Amino acid sequence: MPLSYDTSSAAALPAATSALRSGLPRSRIFISNEFGLILLIVIFALVFGTMTHGFTSHFNLFTLGRNTAVNIMIGLSMMTVIVTGGLNLAVGAIGVCAAMLCGYALQVLHLPWPIALLLALALGAALGAVNGFAVVRTGLHSFIITLATMSIFYGVMIFLTRAEAYRNIPFGFVHFGSMKVLGDVSPLLLLALAVALALAALYRGSVLGREMLATGARREAAELSGIRTGRIITLCHMLSGALATVAALMLVARNGAAIPSMAGQLGQDWLLPAFLAPVLGGAVLNGGKAPVFGTCLGAALVSMLTSGLLLMQLGAFWVQTFLGLLLLLAMFLDKARRSYLAYRNLA
Amino acid sequence: MSKQSLLRLAQADWFGPLVVTLAAIAIIRGFSPDFLSPYNIQTLLIALAINALIAFSQMIIIAIGQMNLSVGAIGGLAAIAFAGMMQVWHLPVALAAILSLLIGIFCGALNGALISATGISAFVITLATLAIYKGINLGITQAQPFYGIAASVKHFGNAALFGLIPMLAVPTAIIAVALWFLLTRLPIGRFILAVGGNEHAASLSGISVRSVVILAHAISGFLAACAGMLLVARLQLGQPSIGDDWLILSFAAPVIGGAVLSGGHVSVVTTLLGVAMVALITQALVVFSIDPFLVQVVLGLLILAAVGINRLRETHLIARRA
Repeated sequence: MPLSYDTSSAAALPAATSALRSGLPRSRIFISNEFGLILLIVIFALVFGTMTHGFTSHFNLFTLGRNTAVNIMIGLSMMTVIVTGGLNLAVGAIGVCAAMLCGYALQVLHLPWPIALLLALALGAALGAVNGFAVVRTGLHSFIITLATMSIFYGVMIFLTRAEAYRNIPFGFVHFGSMKVLGDVSPLLLLALAVALALAALYRGSVLGREMLATGARREAAELSGIRTGRIITLCHMLSGALATVAALMLVARNGAAIPSMAGQLGQDWLLPAFLAPVLGGAVLNGGKAPVFGTCLGAALVSMLTSGLLLMQLGAFWVQTFLGLLLLLAMFLDKARRSYLAYRNLA
Repeated sequence: MSKQSLLRLAQADWFGPLVVTLAAIAIIRGFSPDFLSPYNIQTLLIALAINALIAFSQMIIIAIGQMNLSVGAIGGLAAIAFAGMMQVWHLPVALAAILSLLIGIFCGALNGALISATGISAFVITLATLAIYKGINLGITQAQPFYGIAASVKHFGNAALFGLIPMLAVPTAIIAVALWFLLTRLPIGRFILAVGGNEHAASLSGISVRSVVILAHAISGFLAACAGMLLVARLQLGQPSIGDDWLILSFAAPVIGGAVLSGGHVSVVTTLLGVAMVALITQALVVFSIDPFLVQVVLGLLILAAVGINRLRETHLIARRA
């Protein structure tokens, strides 16, 4: 590369890249994650639709949409941190903590439900900020920090609530969980899609979103180009906490109660869906990529597989094994796709 | 001269944890005279015996600079396999034990093989195998415990040497010594630490990184299976939920003992002291009648404090060397 180049070669460069782009789209669509996921969703929908009774029933489609909404929020919650190259083991713990605060505000303090929701969101974001602050300040990997805070958050929550559920949730709030709009669609699913659109706009269109992606792709470079990476990472963790809270509040609306065990011991039950959706959607664990659309499709595939496997009566206990195998398979395929792209010099 | 040797003693990595452990024992003993009663010592040793194996299982993976989320799932699978083979197939205890250990070793080696063959991060691979192993466990047991434990296993879980040392502590003691010998005296132990310290350098100096990673994971699976089987002897039943709460515990003890998470620096002795500290603090909460729910909080805070202190020590060491 010569140090100085004339205008003709500078003009040739964009032309070359546009030629490269126009030549590629067809092959690129077929090897993209999103295309693969849509294909899988269609195939499994056909398989489950023909092989099981009731997969396409109104009731099943409605619950499927509702579960998809929760899984989308859990997946996006993890994705916002994966973007920075970190991870957040405390998504479940944060979600449950915030949901329990919401239950407390509704049942004990008798606050109107919109205020209770805001309180819960604020707590979720605050707990996320604690994670982010600890990660940035200590310079340690977010794995060990969020492993510790997951234990702390969950322990404090169990200590304060005495492991008891809040069941006195006003109808106005619970109604969201059972309502149907536009036929068989749950409003929760629409909310999840709206949040996903907002996130996509954040990463595509806003300076803040670009700064998050830059920080994740190469932190030193981002720092040198004037991005305050510490603040960005803390913000990503806050976003993750808030999204985990939305997921937990959806579960509260669905169950009609805020239950301490709704994400399992220490919130561990959320970890598998939380990683499955972004990894299926094409997130890179080293950071720098935010496949919002892919994460939604991944969450939809996970929800559909769970529902279909349960309807096929293979035994509810084996579903976890299938999801684990799916995660392995997704990673192998992604690895193979990447080597193929590298081989063809496409990426 | 004696001052110098004292100084060298104070610099040893096991010195700090040992002092803290002894101080904790003295403080709790001061508040509660029953603390060092034979019965209480026995309870403490049993908790120590099982938790030490869980911690070792994670420690050996931390040594190669990775992590293993499936420690609990492997332990649980081996535990229900052990109990199930005795109840359903009526296998002799020794055969059931060997087969369960082989299951543990296989599960661990599979983790290692998947990680080294694909180059995908250990975190995601072991998260996936965690779900797979746990799902197999639940699929086999249908979430119901196996009660048909052989009488000799039940006896083993209750017996004590000289009326003080529980039999359950004997396998752990043997394993701890063997592991110490492996890590400090055998070439393979040095290979494990070398891979953790700098994988590239290790590979350039002729170590087969792939086989070391698989071996470390196989050892981890073996240790998790041992812990699961001891827990079956202790609980007198094969419960499917064995291993569900091991994750935090398995990281807490090595980290409190000063293990460096990026690999290459672990110690059997300090990990044991870390396990002892966790057991003492749990006990202290009981002695001071503090809510047992807070154990989780204390464990989390301990991990944070330990990684913070390790971090400070690291930067201090680097500053001194420079």
